[in-house]
Amino acid sequence: MKISFHFQWQWLSLAACLLPAALGAYPEYHAFVVKHSGRPINCAMCHRHPDGPDGAAPGQLGRLTPEAQERLGRARSAFEPGVKVDSPILNEFGNHMVQALGRKQLMELKMAPEQLAERLPADSDLDGDGIPNVREFLDGTHPLNRNDGHPWLLFRHNLSRNLTQIALTLAATAAGLWGLGHLLRGFASATQLKEEESEDS
Amino acid sequence: MNLLAFIQRAEAYLGERLPVHKLSYDAMVRKKEVPVHRLSWGYYLGGLALFFFAVQVVTGLMLLFYYQPTVSDAHASVEYITEHVPAGALVRNMHAWASSMMIAVVMVHLLTTFAMKAFARPRELTWVSGAVLLLVTFGLGFTGYLLPWHQIAVNATKIGLQSIEEVGAYLPGALSEWPRLIKETIQGEASVGQATLSRFFALHVVILPLTMVAVLVWHLLSVQLHGMSQGVDEPPKWKEKFFPTFFIKDLSVWGVAFMVLFVVALCLPFESFYAYPLFEPFDPKGSTPDGIKPEWYFYFVYYPLEILPFWVVLLLSLVAGVVLFLTPWIFRETSRRTLRLLAAAAALYLVVMTLFGEQIYRLFKG
Repeated sequence: MKISFHFQWQWLSLAACLLPAALGAYPEYHAFVVKHSGRPINCAMCHRHPDGPDGAAPGQLGRLTPEAQERLGRARSAFEPGVKVDSPILNEFGNHMVQALGRKQLMELKMAPEQLAERLPADSDLDGDGIPNVREFLDGTHPLNRNDGHPWLLFRHNLSRNLTQIALTLAATAAGLWGLGHLLRGFASATQLKEEESEDS
Repeated sequence: MNLLAFIQRAEAYLGERLPVHKLSYDAMVRKKEVPVHRLSWGYYLGGLALFFFAVQVVTGLMLLFYYQPTVSDAHASVEYITEHVPAGALVRNMHAWASSMMIAVVMVHLLTTFAMKAFARPRELTWVSGAVLLLVTFGLGFTGYLLPWHQIAVNATKIGLQSIEEVGAYLPGALSEWPRLIKETIQGEASVGQATLSRFFALHVVILPLTMVAVLVWHLLSVQLHGMSQGVDEPPKWKEKFFPTFFIKDLSVWGVAFMVLFVVALCLPFESFYAYPLFEPFDPKGSTPDGIKPEWYFYFVYYPLEILPFWVVLLLSLVAGVVLFLTPWIFRETSRRTLRLLAAAAALYLVVMTLFGEQIYRLFKG
């Protein structure tokens, strides 16, 4: 019997994001990020629910209250950039994209999703992990999760942010080892001296 | 009469392997010496593994204050530790990184011990206890993987448990039922759920650590009583005193290891190596993301499982397991040069499967 589970869910995941195409989602971006980054991603990059907007779970269309539907309507009519939106089916990054580009441009870019990264604000970093949202979009990492990002970029950012703590810990460790080393050498010398004295006597 | 002779022989055998008459400050500390030669760096690896285990115990106890071992709260409690508990992310990262570092060091320790022929008489039981410690370490890794209760944890555990059941198909008669029973005992219910989490939690925080400590006491006592093995064929360049010279060097290595662990845990979230969908809470009704696989230290068996027929991997694993435990008797007459070559080959296999297993898989499966 073969145990194989390696790539079996890849297409299911993609299909889950493709399903809501008719309802105004942008599966082209999802497909682009998967292809560009080579990483398994899901709709949670821009949507509130990992399986996208279609369904009746929290963050999906079937669960919206009248007030949330109103917010959705306002977000869907934000065709021009600069309009502050709070779509109940999008997360902060999804809303950020709509606000930065407007729905009109987002729909146009569906045909050329690689240009989305060029149009989004280059220096915006919603999770504050030191990696701009644009880079996270291209890398297939989550723009709202500060623990998710290109490992090397995260390491560099966190290293520069925590240099003081590292320097202090290094000093404490070195001082502790130095002191402990001397203490142990002292014990050894004292024991040796005592033995020599007892041998002499 | 025969029984008496057997008991006497067993006593003599054990007495040689665990010479408790040497149990004195003089033999174990004051007069103990460590040979210095080109492979003497290998003597620090056991201590380093012990250091990482100690880190695991301390950080694990800290995590216990907040972790909730229930399917409804496990993921949320881990998220709470990471996001809201002061230094929670650091402690959790230290726990995760230390486990990986411990397993890496234990594997290198095993290979260097093999290459130095440190298992030779009278150290056979030291080797066997080390092999048991290796299995317990893997057990700690496997059980700890499930505890955060996210997608990759639950799905990878399901596959791991499923592979136990698969073994039954290759066993004869009543034996074929055993793997299923073992799987059900570990799993605790029809599918991976609350009973599984409770059992894995008990194994991870109580049973396996206690087993580890018990075997570790035997292992360390045995090492201290016998002293360091010669390690190489030629006479050592010189010998240094275990206390304080080697001991202080050992502590310095621990200090360096602590700094490396601290910097890595502070600057590099353990989760950054996996795609974010894998770290979402497990949802039995939701779609499963792709990329589900075990921790890196199981790749050496995971990728062969993906590429080769199950029975081939099963057979090879069985042979490897038998060889691992019977090494002191199988390689009793083998030269150190041959052992070094074998250890290098094993190291090469582990490195290649760990770093390039994915590419090899794609090469075979397209």
